Amino acid sequence: MDFSEAAERISRKFSKDGQTADPKRIEGKLRRLVQEFGVQPSEAERSVTNELAKEYNMPLPGSAGSVGKTGGGTAEKKIAEASPGEWVTFEGKVVALSTPASPALAQSGIIADESGAIRFVAWAKANAPAMTEGSWYRIESAVVDEYKGVANLKIHSGTSIKEIGEDRALIPAPIAIKDLHPGIGGVRAKVVQEWDASHERMLQSGLLGDETGTIKFVIWKEPGREKLAVGGVYNIFYAQVDEFNGRLSLNLNGATILQEEADIPVSGGEGVFTGAIVHIAPGSGIIKRCPVEGCNRALSRQNYCPVHEIQPKFVYDLRIKGWLDNGEKTHSILLQRDAVESLTGIGLAAAQEIAENNPLGMDEVFLQMRDKVLGRYITCKGREIDNRVLVNSCELKKFETADHTKLLNRAGGAV
Amino acid sequence: MSTGSNEMPRREGAFEREPARRVFAGEIRECRYQFKDGEDEKSPTFVLLPTGERCNRIFLVGTLTEKTRQGEQNIFYRGRVVDPTGTFFVMAGSYQPEAMQQLAKIETPAFVAVIGKPSLYQKPDGAVMVSVRVESITTVDKDTRDLWVLDTAGRTLDRIDTFRSDTTPDVAKTKEQYPAMDPAVFHRMAYDALAQIKM
Repeated sequence: MDFSEAAERISRKFSKDGQTADPKRIEGKLRRLVQEFGVQPSEAERSVTNELAKEYNMPLPGSAGSVGKTGGGTAEKKIAEASPGEWVTFEGKVVALSTPASPALAQSGIIADESGAIRFVAWAKANAPAMTEGSWYRIESAVVDEYKGVANLKIHSGTSIKEIGEDRALIPAPIAIKDLHPGIGGVRAKVVQEWDASHERMLQSGLLGDETGTIKFVIWKEPGREKLAVGGVYNIFYAQVDEFNGRLSLNLNGATILQEEADIPVSGGEGVFTGAIVHIAPGSGIIKRCPVEGCNRALSRQNYCPVHEIQPKFVYDLRIKGWLDNGEKTHSILLQRDAVESLTGIGLAAAQEIAENNPLGMDEVFLQMRDKVLGRYITCKGREIDNRVLVNSCELKKFETADHTKLLNRAGGAV
Repeated sequence: MSTGSNEMPRREGAFEREPARRVFAGEIRECRYQFKDGEDEKSPTFVLLPTGERCNRIFLVGTLTEKTRQGEQNIFYRGRVVDPTGTFFVMAGSYQPEAMQQLAKIETPAFVAVIGKPSLYQKPDGAVMVSVRVESITTVDKDTRDLWVLDTAGRTLDRIDTFRSDTTPDVAKTKEQYPAMDPAVFHRMAYDALAQIKM
């Protein structure tokens, strides 16, 4: 074995990642392993690389590429460390099995270890032994790739699977909702809202919340699946975290769900947003709503509801739709009646009076409200969904001398 | 940031409105460079601020000191809005009917809040001017004006911090386009603007 060449090779891998690994020192380690301990050169190279990776506390550099050199062995690692493009060997528990989406697949499901969980598929032509839910396996030489932007483990004909007889304890720690990322994740959360099913195959959808935020969840109709209770607190393990248009949601179909007799504080997803109102959209001011129970849709000027047609016995309501801008980011805001009344000082009765007696009618309410709020600085509290803030309360921002002083000090510093 | 809209076509759900930047008149007056982000006819046009950030839209609050009606066939209004550092030139034409009606109604002098789009144009004598095409204008109170001065001073200092410590694509572009510009000028301007508000 050419030690200096191998040492260079290892050193380069780390220097690529900004670490300095002295080739002399590496060479010494390799020599020692091979000459003193009779280790195979390829194995020596691998173990020195791993040792350094641990020392620098970083993932194995280019481990996918090093497979060939190390004689077919694949790095043994934890699930959370596996990234797309790598060959991996690990021990994990099959925590969920799902119906394969295609006849080309023998099995699909989720496998987990103490570090995390990953979805897997076993190709039908891999002829791999069928795994059972709840058992531990040692999986050698499987491949991690990416499917729909999420890491996914492929079991192919070169993968070996051995069942591990013992049942080890595996209690995954829940992840804070704000820290979830696409893949598999578990949360301890409360069902804060239930939404109308938007699809006939959908069993339930709604909003889950913990102290750090909220996330949409969905359960599709499937034998054995039950709805969650609104207000209930659940430990949810191995749910699929999907991403669509930059927003995350939890698919609970493959998940293990345990209800808990407890109550947890929920952030309510409520944020505080301060900025200037830079636009008031049409449809703001006084509006008419459909009186049919459970409908409440905004009617057109001709009192037409998109579902219930002409509704002469409409109900008046107030709202403001607009844009709140802090100079860096613009949020769409939606103010309901209470917030509109407190911000504009125009109550529903007064607005109705204007709408029915002023020659401009409802437009006059729009104009008066616009002139009262457009260009003003306000602070809103509300829930943010899809870049839109559903405002629960808001008030005009006041001039604070303390802010002024702070800025003067900041600006008065080093010019 | 600069190539974002090229790589990812805007989708309905992912629409992000261009934020309205907070800029003092004294800074917007120094703008000499504007560019389009993308080749499309509808690609937004940006004016590059000398403190190192692009802006497509600005929010300003000041005193409307003058307004004039111009044009016979195509009526439009011009106005001057004064802040502690200088004057904004604003205009609203028949393409902004709502803004024009708002501007027509306001009696000078008055504190006004303006949301609009800045653009550069050249006067016949060759001087470059920045004018703000008004999207909306409303009368506001003095508190709103004072809040805006604080807000704008803070944002200006933020931009200067970024300019000094970071190399965003916009900062690089600014150094190229305004080689003689010293951000200390705008730092001083922010201080002077703040100092004009009575404690």
